[in-house]
Amino acid sequence: MRDFVVVGLSHRTAPVEVREHLAVAPDRLEQELRQIAAIGPLDEALLISTCNRVELYATSANPIEASQIATDALAKRLPENATADVLYQQRGVDVVRHVFRVASSLDSLVVGEPQILGQVKEAFDAARGAGTMGTLLGRCFTQAFATAKRVRNETGIAEGTVSVSSIACELAKKIFGNLEGRRTLLIGAGEMGESAARSLLQTGTNLHVINRSEERARSLAESCGGRAIPFERLSMELADADVVIASTASPKFILTPELMKSVVRSRRHRPLFIVDIAVPRDVDPRVGSMDNVFVYDVDDLQQVAEENLAVRAREAALAEIIVEEELDAFLSWRRSLELAPTIVALRKRFGQIADDELQRALPRLEGASQSDRAVLEAMGRSLVNKLLHQPLTQLKAGAGEPDGALLIDAVRRLFAISEEPPAEQEPSTEAGTEATVTHLATAASRSTGESK
Amino acid sequence: MKAGLFIATAVLYAIACILYLFLLTRGSDKAQRIPGTVFVAALGAHLAFLLLETPSPGELPLADMSQILSVSSFGIGIAFLIASYRFDVTMLGAFVVPLSLMLFLASGLGSSYAPVSPKVQSAMLTLHIGANVVGLVAFALAFAAAVAYMLQERLLRRRQLSGAFQRLPSLDVLDTMGLRAVLVGFPLLTFGMITGTFWLLRSGGSEFFVSQALGLVAWAIFASVIVLRVAAGWQGRKAALGTMMGFLFTLLVLAGYALRAVGGSA
Repeated sequence: MRDFVVVGLSHRTAPVEVREHLAVAPDRLEQELRQIAAIGPLDEALLISTCNRVELYATSANPIEASQIATDALAKRLPENATADVLYQQRGVDVVRHVFRVASSLDSLVVGEPQILGQVKEAFDAARGAGTMGTLLGRCFTQAFATAKRVRNETGIAEGTVSVSSIACELAKKIFGNLEGRRTLLIGAGEMGESAARSLLQTGTNLHVINRSEERARSLAESCGGRAIPFERLSMELADADVVIASTASPKFILTPELMKSVVRSRRHRPLFIVDIAVPRDVDPRVGSMDNVFVYDVDDLQQVAEENLAVRAREAALAEIIVEEELDAFLSWRRSLELAPTIVALRKRFGQIADDELQRALPRLEGASQSDRAVLEAMGRSLVNKLLHQPLTQLKAGAGEPDGALLIDAVRRLFAISEEPPAEQEPSTEAGTEATVTHLATAASRSTGESK
Repeated sequence: MKAGLFIATAVLYAIACILYLFLLTRGSDKAQRIPGTVFVAALGAHLAFLLLETPSPGELPLADMSQILSVSSFGIGIAFLIASYRFDVTMLGAFVVPLSLMLFLASGLGSSYAPVSPKVQSAMLTLHIGANVVGLVAFALAFAAAVAYMLQERLLRRRQLSGAFQRLPSLDVLDTMGLRAVLVGFPLLTFGMITGTFWLLRSGGSEFFVSQALGLVAWAIFASVIVLRVAAGWQGRKAALGTMMGFLFTLLVLAGYALRAVGGSA
C-alpha cells in the first residue's frame, strides 16, 4: 500500500548556513524534482524550498526505502560541517498533518505569516509541471490549501503585526490615516532606526535624516532615498515632521520638554508621533504627555509585538483543531480509496471459490442437462452474494468510522487479499510485490514510534 | 399597524446598536458587516413608519415635536450611511446608532405634543425647524466622530492597541470628519437661530427664553470650535471636546422644547 514520506530540514532543526546550502531557486524546482524522481522508487515527489525550510515530500509503495532515498538525496547536498542529524523524516499520517500545518503557517518561524502558502502553491505547481504529482500528493496538497484558507478565515492567526518596524508603521497609520506625503524625520543613524525608516518610506512618506555626523546622515539618506539635514536645524525639522524616529547613541535626552514646548507651539497643534528606538532613550518621558504628541519607546513597541504574538499563539490552538478536522476528512477519503478495491477483491475471491467448486462438482453429475448447469451456477452466485451481503454492508458502514482503516485491514488479512488495487483505482501504482499489507494506520503508528 | 411598526423599528435599532457595540472590541472583519445590514433594515422600517406619519404626500412630517425627533433620528441614520460610504467609518455606528435609537424612542414618548399651536405656524417656522433638524444631524455625526476620537486617543496613550483601537478609524479621519460635519452644521444652526428669533419676535412672545439661551450657548461653542480650528490650527482632543460640548447643548435645546411641549399639552 502506498504511503507518504517527508524528509527535510527547517528553522527548527538547522541554522541558516545549512538551510541556504539546500535551498532551491523557484525556477529550478521542476528540474530538481525530475532528477530526484529519476533516482528510484518514488511514485510522487514534491519539493518545498523557502528560506526557512527545504522539504521533499513523496509517496511510495515502500515508504521505508523511499525515505532512505529521499534522505540520501538531501544529505549529499549538506555542507561538510553539517551532519544528517539536521534532517527529519516522517511517514504516514504525520506527513499529511505536517503538510496541513506548514501550509497554514503553523510551523513557520513567525506563526501566521502569509508568504508560506504562496510558496507551497509554487512547489505544487512545480511538481505538476515536472509530472511528479499523482493522486495522493495532489489530493493531500489541495486539501492543505483548503485547510490554510479555513485557518486564515476562521482564526485570527494572521492578525496584528509582530515586528517593531511594522508596528511603528501601523501606529503611524492609525494616527495620520494616509501616510502618503507625510514627513518622517530620522534622528541618529542606528540600525533599528534605519529599518523603521525604510518601513515608513514604503508607505509613501518623505524621509529626512538628521545626525551629529553629517557624513553618516548623508550616506544613509542616499541609501534609503531621503534627504540629509544638518543637526543645527533639528528644532525646525521637528516642527515640520509628522513622524519622528529617534535612535541616537546619546546618553542624554535629546528631545527635552523645553525643546518640545517651542516645537509644539510652532506646530500649531498638528499631531506628532515620536518613536524612540534608542537605548538609552532619546525622548524625555514628559514629552509623551504633551497635547497631540504621542511617544512610543522600544519597550512599548516590543510589548505590542509580544501581545500580538500571544494572540497568534492562542489562535494557533484553534488552527490546530481545524488541521485535525481536515486530517480526519483526508483519512476518510483515503479509506474510501481502499474500500472499493477491497470489496472488488473480496467478491472476486468468493466468486472464484464458487466457480472452482462448480467445476469440480459438474463432472460428477451424470446426465446433467444445460438447464441443470444453469441452475447450479445461479445457486453458486446467489450463495456468494448472500454470504457476502452482511459483511460488505458492515464493511461499508464501518469504513467511515475513525478506526475504519483497522476494519479494512482486518478483512484483507482474514481473506488474504494482498494484491494491490486494480490500476483504475490508483493510476500510478506499480503491481505490488509485498506479501504483507502496509497500512496507512499501522505505518503511521510505526513512524511516530520511530520519530520520538 | 403604526404601533407595531414603531416597535419593530425600535427593536431593529436596538439590535443594530448592541451588535455595533459588541463588534467594536471583537469579531472578525466579515462579522463587522452584520450590524450595518440590521441598521439598514431599521432605517427601512423607520421610513415606512414616517410614511404612515406623513399628513399628506409632499408634506414633511415636522408638525409636532414627536415628528421632529423621529425625522432627526432618521436623518442621522441616513447621514451616517452616506458618511460610512464616503469615509471608512463603519464602526462609528457604535456611537451613531445609540443616538438614533435615543431620539426615536423619545419621539414615541409623547406622540401628540406640538411645538406651537397651529395658529402661529408659517413657512418661516418650517424653514426654521428644517434647518435645525439638518444641523442637528450634522452635529450628531460630529459628536460621534469626537467621541471616537477621544476613545482612540485614550487607547493610544494607554497602549491598548488591540480590540477597539484596531477597528475604529484613524485619528486623522475622525478629526477631519468632525471638522467637516461641524462646518456643515454651523451655518444651518446660525440660520435656525436667526429665523427662530425673527419668528419669535414676530409672534410677540418671549416664552422660549431658556431654549433660546441654551441655543445661543451651543452656537457660541461651535463658533469658537470653528474659529480655533481654522485660525489657531486646533486639532484633536480639544476640538473633539468642544464639539461634544456643543452637541450636548444642542440636545439640551431640543430637550427643553420637548419638555415645554409636554408641559403645554398636559
